[in-house]
Amino acid sequence: MQIFYKKKEDLYKELHQERERILKMGDPAVLEKRKKSGQLNARERLEYLFDNGEYTEIGMHIKHRTVHFGMDKAQIPAEGVITAFGRVNGRLVVAFSEDYSAMAGTFGEYHGFKETYAIQFAMDKGLPVIGMNDSAGARLQEGIDTLEAYGKLFRVQTLASGVIPQIALLLGPCLGGQAYHPVMQDFLIQTRDTGFLGIAGPAFVKTQIGEEITLEELCGWKAHAIKSGQTHIVAADDRDAIDKAKELLSFLPSNNRERPPRIQTHDPLDRSIPELDEIVPDEPFKPFDMKRVIRAVVDDGYFFEIMEHHAKNVITGFARFGGRPVGIWANQPLWAAGAIDIDAADKGARFIRFCDLFNIPIVTFVDCGGYMIGSQQEWAGILRHGAKLLFAWANATVPLISIIVRKSYAGAHYGMLDKSIGADFVFAWPTARITIVGAETAASVIFAREIRESQNPEETRAKRIQEFGELYENPYRAAERGCVDDIIMPHQTRKYINRALDLLENKFVPPGTCPWKIWKKYDNINL
Amino acid sequence: MAHEIVEAPLAGKILQIHVRVGDRVAEGDTLCTLEALKMENAIVAPISGTVKEIRISPGQAIKAGEPMIVIES
Repeated sequence: MQIFYKKKEDLYKELHQERERILKMGDPAVLEKRKKSGQLNARERLEYLFDNGEYTEIGMHIKHRTVHFGMDKAQIPAEGVITAFGRVNGRLVVAFSEDYSAMAGTFGEYHGFKETYAIQFAMDKGLPVIGMNDSAGARLQEGIDTLEAYGKLFRVQTLASGVIPQIALLLGPCLGGQAYHPVMQDFLIQTRDTGFLGIAGPAFVKTQIGEEITLEELCGWKAHAIKSGQTHIVAADDRDAIDKAKELLSFLPSNNRERPPRIQTHDPLDRSIPELDEIVPDEPFKPFDMKRVIRAVVDDGYFFEIMEHHAKNVITGFARFGGRPVGIWANQPLWAAGAIDIDAADKGARFIRFCDLFNIPIVTFVDCGGYMIGSQQEWAGILRHGAKLLFAWANATVPLISIIVRKSYAGAHYGMLDKSIGADFVFAWPTARITIVGAETAASVIFAREIRESQNPEETRAKRIQEFGELYENPYRAAERGCVDDIIMPHQTRKYINRALDLLENKFVPPGTCPWKIWKKYDNINL
Repeated sequence: MAHEIVEAPLAGKILQIHVRVGDRVAEGDTLCTLEALKMENAIVAPISGTVKEIRISPGQAIKAGEPMIVIES
């Protein structure tokens, strides 16, 4: 019998046809519906992400191996997720994009394999990874193979956590156990009308616990950007989400061995800011807008806020000083007096640890009367949540600079960063009040008996409050002990931060070589 | 028509109410002042619209999460 060999031209034609089939993606009706609603499809999203729309795809021919329930005949182009690498503003980035037109982007064994491979590849090569989530959930036909694929993904992304930045875009649904995937990454960007995240959708919630609630209310942007604090950035649509991911990436190094990219700036390093001398009200009970302080001191007033809508009593975000990316952690006296409650502590601790993992210096702006008190917070565990901040600071190895603007009392003194917990520099404004507790509370404790037995208790109380306040509610007692490096005029703040960052340039500690830490797996942070 | 119920962000005492039912407010306008944690917290309108209902009065103690003012956009 004669063996028939295919001709080269037929082999080339076969490849061409196969590529065409995969590049056309899945169900045309789904693609058309997406187009009409203004959403991009999975490949358009990658084209929008990468410079000149160019990317190198890996694993396009990967295919599931299920035969049950008619799956042997199922054509699922690219297995419902396109994995690729390319350049984003000149830097190499790995990305994967779930394709809702290909069997609703469902997650099965080889779909999971592709995502796991992309993250492993990115980690091995030291590149950031961006995941675009848009999937109807688990591919149930694959049973245990699907279940195991999730575990493998979670394990790899956990191993990659702290090695490379991982950004999740939530552009479609992501419900069920799968939702742990974006939540366990570093930053989650959710689109306003199309992104949905949840451990269970409304139908499951109704059958299991009888609660009736809409998908929007249960899993939409408000649920996570405002209430749960799992969404870091809200985007208007697909393009906006990708633009925001690129903007975020501009502050981050490609991996934990690099420093974040420094850019040129024309904003003078020693720029004086006279309006800051006016910003703090004379009365300690009047609030002011800390975001005005932040925008005034950073390069070109450019502040990229993270978790803008959640725990608004504190502020987190990225900015630059002298072109260097820094993380900002601050109180917002306009909201709940800038106190640190459970949500605020969680928001800050994870942000601080992210900055530390990726060699991003941190600058704090402090006006905080303390951690939030009362039965609600006490019983919900303010102590164990507040402790996360203390762990984060005590462990941090990056340059740490604290600007005490007004109150720095009690536990908040460390939670907002001070010398004893690890700050390299602490500068205080003359309006600072750095002490263990406010004068009113202190006087009522120290002089309780004297006040009680006084002829005129109110007068005695007022006198003692005045006395304690004059002694302790200022920056000088802290400066006398070296807890404050200097007391500076508000208008000099930018100059002092820039000088400090210059001095701390070589504080950079390579991973695993931190001189003050002995070997251990990790510490027992209050999770 | 959307209703937005402005809730107390934390427990405290209502010092002052700056709007009346029927007033037009813009997003960010101060609706009332809530004294809490020794700070006079300005409570601002989350959306632009008309003040539909005021459920608080000056001097009143309020718990976190209690509805204070309803705005209709």
